[in-house]
Amino acid sequence: MWQQVELALSQSAHRVLFQLASFLPGLVAMLLAVLFLAAIGAGLAALLRRFLFSIKFDERFARNSIAAITDWAPSHSPTVLIARTAFWGCVILGCIIGISAFDASYSSNSQMSVVLLPYLTHSVGAIILLTLGNLVARFLSRSVLIGAVNAKLTYARFLSLGVKWLVLVLTTAMVLDHLEIGGTVVDLAFGILFGGIVLTLSLAVGIGSRDIVTRSLEKNVDRPLDPIPGDPDYKSPTEPLRHF
Amino acid sequence: MASTHTNITPTTEAPAKGSLLVSLASLPANALETTLANLALAFPSQSVLVATPDPAPQLSSGSPLRLLPYTQAAPSTTPWFLTAADYVNTFKLVQENGASACLLLGAESQSLHPDAIRSLAAAAASTDLVVSHYNLRPREGLVNSAILYPVTRGLFGSSPRFPLAIDLALSPRMAERLAASAQKFTAASQGDALIWPITEAVIANYSIAEADAGTRTFPQPSADLNTLLTQIAGSLFSDVDAKASFWQRGRSFKPGRSFPQTIDPADGSSDIASMLETFRLAYTNLHEIWSLILPPNSLLGLKRLSVMPPDAFRIPDALWSRIVYDFILAYRLRTINRGHLLGALTPLYLAWVASHLTLVNNGTAPEAHVQEIAAAFEADKPYFVSRWRWPDRFNP
Repeated sequence: MWQQVELALSQSAHRVLFQLASFLPGLVAMLLAVLFLAAIGAGLAALLRRFLFSIKFDERFARNSIAAITDWAPSHSPTVLIARTAFWGCVILGCIIGISAFDASYSSNSQMSVVLLPYLTHSVGAIILLTLGNLVARFLSRSVLIGAVNAKLTYARFLSLGVKWLVLVLTTAMVLDHLEIGGTVVDLAFGILFGGIVLTLSLAVGIGSRDIVTRSLEKNVDRPLDPIPGDPDYKSPTEPLRHF
Repeated sequence: MASTHTNITPTTEAPAKGSLLVSLASLPANALETTLANLALAFPSQSVLVATPDPAPQLSSGSPLRLLPYTQAAPSTTPWFLTAADYVNTFKLVQENGASACLLLGAESQSLHPDAIRSLAAAAASTDLVVSHYNLRPREGLVNSAILYPVTRGLFGSSPRFPLAIDLALSPRMAERLAASAQKFTAASQGDALIWPITEAVIANYSIAEADAGTRTFPQPSADLNTLLTQIAGSLFSDVDAKASFWQRGRSFKPGRSFPQTIDPADGSSDIASMLETFRLAYTNLHEIWSLILPPNSLLGLKRLSVMPPDAFRIPDALWSRIVYDFILAYRLRTINRGHLLGALTPLYLAWVASHLTLVNNGTAPEAHVQEIAAAFEADKPYFVSRWRWPDRFNP
């Protein structure tokens, strides 16, 4: 019996090692493609940067354009923007070549390529989604915070956090859905969480605004008659502020 | 005020070269008639060409005004300031009509006294850029007092009290220079962008003067404070960024002529309380954002302000100048999104207004305080230059 156990173990170990051995070249090919293209990208970016600095591209561009691209460019430098675009373009090309090399190293019947390859591409999409979602969440929360403070809302921070978590929850649900993790459990959980956050924010805004509405109504109903000039309570009307 | 009967000749022949051109903003019919009457009073014996984008009124023939209806080459939809479109239109008119000088009168120009118009034109005879000096009350023109005038005086050494005045007199070369700056914006369909005539004139080494425009009605913007402050301060900060190589060189301030100021008592206790409340709320909620922009010393100053009693609320002039300079630097470095940066400036500006009004209520002459602020901006220019050149290394 022990011989059979030993045989089963050695056969399964051999199978797994064989799978791994056939998996590794594809993986190494993918990594090499990414690294090689990244190195080419870095070299190309350096060459481009040197060339564009030598022809004073930034100064010429600033003279002839308003602010649009200069605003978007890192360090206000279109040269740096072009160099970074070239570098990341090469990296992405390397990823694409690497993934197709990974795919080519397997036969079409291989289960590993059917399962792993789409998951790799979905992972890239998920990482991009997560990054974008985080950026949008931070931007929106800050916008809401500043806007609410300037509108003199005392619950500004709460509103800002609520918006941030709304976007983050939405992003997480999209990422999990993209990776096909969790299925309906994730959908349900997202729905409950999102709805809960929206309800909480609505209650907060409603309760927070209650005092404003009450004061506004009281002002119209119980308003005493304005004192007239000559009255001891009379105050000359305050001149409005003119900021401009 | 003048009667509505004005001697105007609708122009049918080419005007004499070298005449004065007056370019008006779009005005309602009544306001246009009043303006034309004031112009006739201001220039009773001088041939003046009046350009208006509105339909010319049919009035009795005679002299001395010649009316020139025109179609705006670049339409402006912002009546409360002079925009890039206004300067492009003005230069086109100056060029086509060979004017020797041009008066650019903004919206609500019917409230300008004929003497004010005459003094603008008189100064334009020998100066490239004449800027109006208005007689404002303590509660008016606060953004100009807090930011626009101190920054232009501190960095560019210019004396005009109202850098964004809406009534100007321009020489043909000044009009050309402003139109050249404005062309970049109108070409990109940004006709409502602001141009800063003072900084353009200083850089070109053109002569600048101020003319007493007395009191005037100003068009009130329909947008809220936050939107307008973002637009105006953003434009100024962008202009400072663009002209960095100029203002970093040493400039000394040459005081202009002094103008009489009326001092009215200001009572704004309810406004002050509201603005202080906004500032304290902002200090609690925006402290993290301010800490990305302001150095530790300024944050400490704000912390002290947040606990100051309302009666004694006073922003030190040096603190305010450094706050504004740090915001300009953050605008340039894009420390945070520019819209957020300018939104975060609004509560600090309101705190300054509260401080200013508190001082005025306590008997300080408002103009004296504004001059002290401007002097503080001048004194802190080396601080700003150091931070501009070494933003990471110099961070007190």
